[in-house]
Amino acid sequence: MNQHDPNAPSLEVTNLVKHFPILGGFLQRQVGAVRAVDGVSFSVRRGETLGVVGESGCGKSTVGKTVLKLLEPTSGEIRLGGIDVTKFSPGQMWDHRRRIQTVFQDPYSSMNPRLKAGAIVGEPLQNFGIASGSDLDDRVAQLFRRVGLRPENMKKFTHEFSGGQRQRLGIAKALSVNPDVIVADEPVSALDVSVQAQVLNLMIDLQEEYQLAYLFISHDLAVMRHISHRIAVMYLGRIVEITDKRTLFTRPMHPYTEALLSAAPIPDPKKKRERLIIQGDVPSPSKPPPGCHFHTRCPFAIGACKEIDPPLLEIAPGHHVACIRRPVGAAPEPLTRTN
Amino acid sequence: MSILQVKDLKTQFFTQDGIVRAVDGVSFNVDVGETLAVVGESGCGKSVTALSILRLIQKETGRIVDGSIKFNGRELTTLSEEEMRAIRGHEISMIFQEPMTSLNPVLTIGTQIAENVVRHKGVSWQKARDRACEMLELVRIADPIRRLDEYPHQMSGGMRQRVMIAIALSCDPKVLIADEPTTALDVTIQAQILDLMIELKEKIHAAIVMITHDLGVVAETAQRVVVMYAGRKVEEASVEDLFENPMHPYTRGLMKAIPRLDMDAEAADKRIRLQEIEGMVPALIDPIPGCAFAPRCPFATERCRTQLPPFVESTAGHIAACWEVERVRELAA
Repeated sequence: MNQHDPNAPSLEVTNLVKHFPILGGFLQRQVGAVRAVDGVSFSVRRGETLGVVGESGCGKSTVGKTVLKLLEPTSGEIRLGGIDVTKFSPGQMWDHRRRIQTVFQDPYSSMNPRLKAGAIVGEPLQNFGIASGSDLDDRVAQLFRRVGLRPENMKKFTHEFSGGQRQRLGIAKALSVNPDVIVADEPVSALDVSVQAQVLNLMIDLQEEYQLAYLFISHDLAVMRHISHRIAVMYLGRIVEITDKRTLFTRPMHPYTEALLSAAPIPDPKKKRERLIIQGDVPSPSKPPPGCHFHTRCPFAIGACKEIDPPLLEIAPGHHVACIRRPVGAAPEPLTRTN
Repeated sequence: MSILQVKDLKTQFFTQDGIVRAVDGVSFNVDVGETLAVVGESGCGKSVTALSILRLIQKETGRIVDGSIKFNGRELTTLSEEEMRAIRGHEISMIFQEPMTSLNPVLTIGTQIAENVVRHKGVSWQKARDRACEMLELVRIADPIRRLDEYPHQMSGGMRQRVMIAIALSCDPKVLIADEPTTALDVTIQAQILDLMIELKEKIHAAIVMITHDLGVVAETAQRVVVMYAGRKVEEASVEDLFENPMHPYTRGLMKAIPRLDMDAEAADKRIRLQEIEGMVPALIDPIPGCAFAPRCPFATERCRTQLPPFVESTAGHIAACWEVERVRELAA
């Protein structure tokens, strides 16, 4: 099927794999692979935010870059509005680029410092032949207003903006071509809290207005809880749990999700919690442990965890968990510690 | 009893664009055995305050222009560089945000810890190495003897931060300044390091100055908090008072602006808008005659813009620099 289907999910990813070769030896042969993304599936509908959360090296940013086709997937399938774009060449991809746009963590390094802000935001409109001349200026001014910037600022250079304003520029640019999907990779991590709130509110407003689908990548669970509808938790290239936000925060089933939730400091000195602190570091994605990738740090691991690759099972409607100690239909009871 | 007293500290940087008033009259005391958090957003002067205490402001670009820093009764601002070196890493030590850039990549970590001990305690390298081993054990690095001969690049970020802590504590400091010690780390590693710092605090009896932007870190580690904005202290309180009854409009705004992990499920489902603080942090180049927060403050009056607000005390030890404390409190009630 090569026709855009309005009923299909805005973004659908099946078994996505992205390995980076490790070259070595005199002949620079491939001696291994960094398994950055190792079989990930999810979908994002119109008007929905799917959060992807995980620690550094879990592959969350690689997922973002691969669905944008900034990186070629090793295998798997990416569908934009029902159209399989996985094998598209850059030329073929061109027509579909408009549908999927991105907002980066640091808009400063992703914008040409020699272009004026108006030109940066207007560039995609020109590239896709959507607008030119005075129509272009009008549209850019409109976009500036929509993201809370004064149209006079169109004549400024990016270094004249604050971090929050630059992120607004990045959002205006992504929005300019009227996309279906926005991949936002840590869009508020570089911002101070007072400005972070402004940008998060703006993103929520825009989503509701234009029914955008967001793939929102972040390490910050509190931000996730605020903006997402559903959340996927990644660990070493795999999704270990994916469910709606309420379930994830009230009844997490994967031990890693539980550890992440309990590790985040809570800004309330009266809430002293029993913490689940997991020891050790994230193993290297070039040598992931056998079986469940998390077993080396999991306080609940049993012998079989070292051998069995846990499949991501739907243990309750809409709640997928990859843990052999959480079988289909399992109650969300605490697990017994094994170490 | 106060071990460290900072009074009217002013640190300025001299740039082509003008004088940057990075720290503009900040005062606080740190008591023996307590953890004081200094919290604020980027550019509020919290790190410059820390660097000023250790006299690490680069002479070419800036200096402490006014105020006093007393450590154990001794004035630090007038000490010679030589005298200061005897204090740094010994009686007052510091851990930085980036453990990778603060460790020397070409020296083993054993050497880097021992170096500090030899320098300040005047012991032999062999004795210092034993001490280094002891310190690695203290910060719970497994297999410390083998680790002594490793280089920083062989360690993970969390492990390097443990090494930084080991170096900082190797000479039994009386004050430990931690500048965003967990900001560069992942959450599970952050939890490990914060846990370690809380545990060590019981053991080492040092006062800790915790510099952070994260109110979660403040709540979990500190007993007392100084809130900074645009180079000035705007509020100081015990951690309980600060979170329960924030007085200053800036502190209140900050608390409402953070997305909460512990919000109730209903609120989360509805994606209730976060409360924004309009506008942005002022440039520190132009002198600010009144309250620095006035341009963003919903309570601001003409007086706020023109006259520096005095500190008002609500309950014992809870002060805020605000002209409109009464109106702010009424609104909260």
